[in-house]
Amino acid sequence: MTSDSPLAIELVDIWKRFPGVVANAGATLRVKKGTIHAVLGENGAGKSTLMNILSGVYRPDEGQVRINGEQHWFHSPSDALASGIGMVHQEFRLVPSFTVAENIVLGASEKIIRRSFIEKEVEQIAQQFGLAIDPTRPVWQLSMGERQRVEILKTLWRKAQILILDEPTAVLTPAEADELGKVLRKIAEDGRTVVFISHKLHEVTAFCDEATVLRGGKTVASSLKVEEVNESDLAGLMVGSSPMISERPPYQEPGEAMLTIEGLGTLDDRFLPAVKNLNLTIKSGEIVGIAGVSGNGQREMAQAIAGLRPITSGKVTISGKDLTNAPPSERFTAGLGYVPEDRLGVGLAPRLTVTENAILRCYKNLRKSIFLVSEQAVNYCKEIIERFGVRTGPIDEPIAGLSGGNLQRLLVGRELSGNPKVVLAAQPTRGLDVQGVKAIQDLLIDERTEGVAVLLISEDLDELLTLSDRLLVMHEGEIVKEFDPTTAHRHDIGAAMAGKRDES
Amino acid sequence: MRRRLLMLLAVVLTFGAVASACGSDDDGSSDVKAAFVYIGTPGDAGWTYAHDQGRLAAEEATGATTQVVENVPEGTEDFANYAREFIDDGYSVIIGTSFGYMESMAALADEYPDVVFDHISGYMSNETNFGNTFGRMYEPRYLSGMVAGAMTESNHLGYVAAFPIPEVIRGINAFTLGVRSMNPDAEVEVIWTSTWFDPAVEGDSAQALIEKGADVIAMHQDSTAAGERAEAAGVRWVAYNSDMSAFAPNAHLTAPVWDWSNRYAQIIEQAADGTYSGGSWWGSMADGVVALAPIADDVPGDVQAAVADSQQAIIDGELHVFAGPINAQDGSVLVAAGETMSDGDMLGMMSFVEGVIGSTG
Amino acid sequence: MKRLVLVRREQPLRGGQPLSFLIGLVVALLAGILLLVASGHNPIEIYERLFNSSVGSSNAWAKTLNRAVPLGLAGLAVAVAGSMGLWNIGAEGQILAGAMMAAWIAQIGEGWASPLLIPLMLIASILGGALLASGPGIARAQIGVNEIITTLMLNEVALRLLQWLIHGPWKDPESRGFPLAPLLADEARLPKLFGRAHWGVIIAFLVIAFFGFIVSRTAWGYELKVAGSSGATARYAGISLNKKIITVMVLSGGIAGLAGGIELSGTSDRIVEGVSGGYGFAGIIVAALALMRPSGVAAVALIFGAVQVGGLSIQTLGVSSSVSTILQALILFGAIGAGVFNRYSLKSVKREKKGGST
Repeated sequence: MTSDSPLAIELVDIWKRFPGVVANAGATLRVKKGTIHAVLGENGAGKSTLMNILSGVYRPDEGQVRINGEQHWFHSPSDALASGIGMVHQEFRLVPSFTVAENIVLGASEKIIRRSFIEKEVEQIAQQFGLAIDPTRPVWQLSMGERQRVEILKTLWRKAQILILDEPTAVLTPAEADELGKVLRKIAEDGRTVVFISHKLHEVTAFCDEATVLRGGKTVASSLKVEEVNESDLAGLMVGSSPMISERPPYQEPGEAMLTIEGLGTLDDRFLPAVKNLNLTIKSGEIVGIAGVSGNGQREMAQAIAGLRPITSGKVTISGKDLTNAPPSERFTAGLGYVPEDRLGVGLAPRLTVTENAILRCYKNLRKSIFLVSEQAVNYCKEIIERFGVRTGPIDEPIAGLSGGNLQRLLVGRELSGNPKVVLAAQPTRGLDVQGVKAIQDLLIDERTEGVAVLLISEDLDELLTLSDRLLVMHEGEIVKEFDPTTAHRHDIGAAMAGKRDES
Repeated sequence: MRRRLLMLLAVVLTFGAVASACGSDDDGSSDVKAAFVYIGTPGDAGWTYAHDQGRLAAEEATGATTQVVENVPEGTEDFANYAREFIDDGYSVIIGTSFGYMESMAALADEYPDVVFDHISGYMSNETNFGNTFGRMYEPRYLSGMVAGAMTESNHLGYVAAFPIPEVIRGINAFTLGVRSMNPDAEVEVIWTSTWFDPAVEGDSAQALIEKGADVIAMHQDSTAAGERAEAAGVRWVAYNSDMSAFAPNAHLTAPVWDWSNRYAQIIEQAADGTYSGGSWWGSMADGVVALAPIADDVPGDVQAAVADSQQAIIDGELHVFAGPINAQDGSVLVAAGETMSDGDMLGMMSFVEGVIGSTG
Repeated sequence: MKRLVLVRREQPLRGGQPLSFLIGLVVALLAGILLLVASGHNPIEIYERLFNSSVGSSNAWAKTLNRAVPLGLAGLAVAVAGSMGLWNIGAEGQILAGAMMAAWIAQIGEGWASPLLIPLMLIASILGGALLASGPGIARAQIGVNEIITTLMLNEVALRLLQWLIHGPWKDPESRGFPLAPLLADEARLPKLFGRAHWGVIIAFLVIAFFGFIVSRTAWGYELKVAGSSGATARYAGISLNKKIITVMVLSGGIAGLAGGIELSGTSDRIVEGVSGGYGFAGIIVAALALMRPSGVAAVALIFGAVQVGGLSIQTLGVSSSVSTILQALILFGAIGAGVFNRYSLKSVKREKKGGST
């Protein structure tokens, strides 16, 4: 690993547009042969699109892909694999009832290969890189960490010279993640190149040689030497300006406490603690922002408050009413509006019509005995559409045709239409166009003005700095520091996001 | 777009006009038209194949027009719907080849007294236009049992059987009597599949019998699966319905087979000259409706000769398969010496003879 | 190089259904002409028979309606489960269960008058189907067992149970050893509506209309649709899923069971294995073509019934059952499947040139 190593990967000025979204807007990535290179960025920064271009899933609209100095134009992942590029996806693509060896061979060749031969080969590769695994075991018996090893073995067996790992540690325990780091180092020492996608900063500094940071589809920092930067720098680079339109609302004196969270604890999808002893109070007429690198418990905290994730300890109160164990609908009635991170699939039902989605929270009030009064439902829906400026086609058609911005307006509008006391907004502007961002931000500001308590979780630091009255930074399930957004420095916020505690 | 659509419409309307103009062609033929309703397709190589062979031969012999419909399920309105369709088209003979058509045929025979309904394998009939036809398959079954009894070495034979109904039980008994006429120590083990055509189940049942030591497999369903398993296992096979030697050339010993051609020609002729009078017709080897397929070449000459003798004796009426003394499965007397089972008792036969392993329950 | 791709329309074509139906039908019939000519038939004669025998006379309508009854009810059973995202692949077995229960009541109630006996038979058939479907429903709700597999396997269980009954306890002593259940008494047979069409037509229509109304107009139906669209959304909206899964499976099974009861009482002489007639599986197609909407089931079942009746009828002209089946499928998917163009349009796109490393 020297600075004059030849470049294994060169992605130059890559553009990729999808309907309504520019995913890559001039992204550049240069990776030296025999190194481990981190690609950093928040969700939606364009990491996945860029890696999908590198691995042949997408074709770029503009830009060049050069592998070992040679220009390539991949049509499919198998094309890319033929040029020595293998990808380990976040969701494993393994057949549970097949053995490790069978999974490794699967789809690789039309020829029939002897099982014992494969098993020997796999064993050899596994030993060479310290990937302890028994090739004869069926995959369903393996832990997530072992399954990941199978995926890595699969690319190695296919003679990949470049390995792309998409958030490989997301499914691993800390010990497994350390183990993975050692394996990747051996792979790099073998002369191969590893691209490591992550937003866990300490892993980047621990495992990687260089890092490239993406934001808003662009490369904001290219091939930083990891030894020369610290986690705070990286965090500061990752979060930052989106097209900000809304202006900072004038100061207003907050009222009484509306949302009180005491000692909240909850688990993530792997049943590991995601939020630990979290305390938070939001008063009427204030916006409290939560900053943090994603994956630090923000999502789980929001779900726990909304009633979609069991609370293991602590207490959630809305204007004095204890709702710790209440179902989501009761929380809505008690005055909690929730804008979930997953718009389609949690907040909205994709196959249902605009009207049916609009009444999701209040349909029980639109009943006459067992019947749903359709005129009332239609009126209710029309009210939301008018008040919140949702542009839709016919309201008796499925919402699938709506743009992202209008979906979010419909969702936010619905949550606000219940005249809530508390609004919990998780990533409410992520992925929206300029107009959409402004509309949603303005709605939140209006709510604040009317005395609603707003909890805003965002990965956009500028948004948080503009909208929040108070800014809290979350790290590993805890609130580590509070800032005054009018005076805070980005660098200090970045440091807190990297885990630097409040000294006070 | 709109113009193309109009053109398309015009084409369709023209077709419609032509259709109504030439739909009513009438060839003025006064020949009998006979319709056959099948439970399966002739491609099954078994039951329906045998019927279709009979139909084709009868068509040849009588000059009648015949038509078939395949895969007609039992217990639904389909049979009646087809029959009415045929009758509206001028068919005057309706032949149904599956047991479950019986009630429909009886009702239709009342409704259409001028149409002849002949039902294969049932028991209902009237005196005028509704009759039933079946064959004394037990005769060739007995002969096939003789071949099997002579060829078994393990003295353990297998029989893959459909359902415990008199027709099947009669066949098992006749087969067993034939086996023991050549080899008094041999036993026939029965497995019920509860299927008429399910190659997987029937093949697996044959396999089970082979694994228990059976070295000759007989069967009573419409698939060839049992034979294919016997071929693979290197044991022998007595087929059914038609000569199936092509499906298992090494395993195939012989087969009791159907030959419907004469009977079908007879029904059509009787319908044509108005002499059809319903009732039950239970044909024998002498009538030709049942027969024994050619015996495999490797069966010793003396066995072939013994079978040929018995065959002649049956045709001549000198040998009756269910003539006493016959013991029941438990050793008690089923038919006393000097007595012969009546047709009524044979048609209601629900118990096994001595030498059968298995139960009829 | 160009290739055709389906592109979703931003807005579905309003009022496009009748048009796409007509175009699809015409295209299918034209393709059918090729098929018929290739198999040596006169397409005009065949089409004339197809039409006349299915909708050309009151007798033809009776056949079509009688067939639409089990198709519609089985389709409804699948669609009711489907609106919640559940797959009831066991309608075939539930039809058998319903028919068995109805046949049992018919035996118990020998000598009872029709107005008492027939309603009891039909209620029993509903219970039979519901009972068979309740197991998969409970297993799915309580321990997450995939209902596709359980409902499918119970088909076999129901069939074997019926075989056992016919060969054992229900065997008619007057059937000379043949495995036959006793003949249905005249009192156990559904009265005729017109011609040979029986009153099941009215019952089925009312049941389909009722469930169409329930699913599209009530809060309960709304909750069903939310749950069917996304389980997470349903939980978010405060809809509890487990109880609903069981209720829906029981209802679905009950509807299929009713189809069995009506089939037995309306068109059969006695209960036989064939009483379910494959309608349970055809119901999956009916429901899919109705886009899992209970309100669309009646129309699809009617078209399906007519096509089946016509398709069977042309076999009497010598069209083989396989050619007839292909023709039926062509017409069905042509006429109903063309509805996809209300939501999608065909576009031809340039295929990118191959190059680079390969």
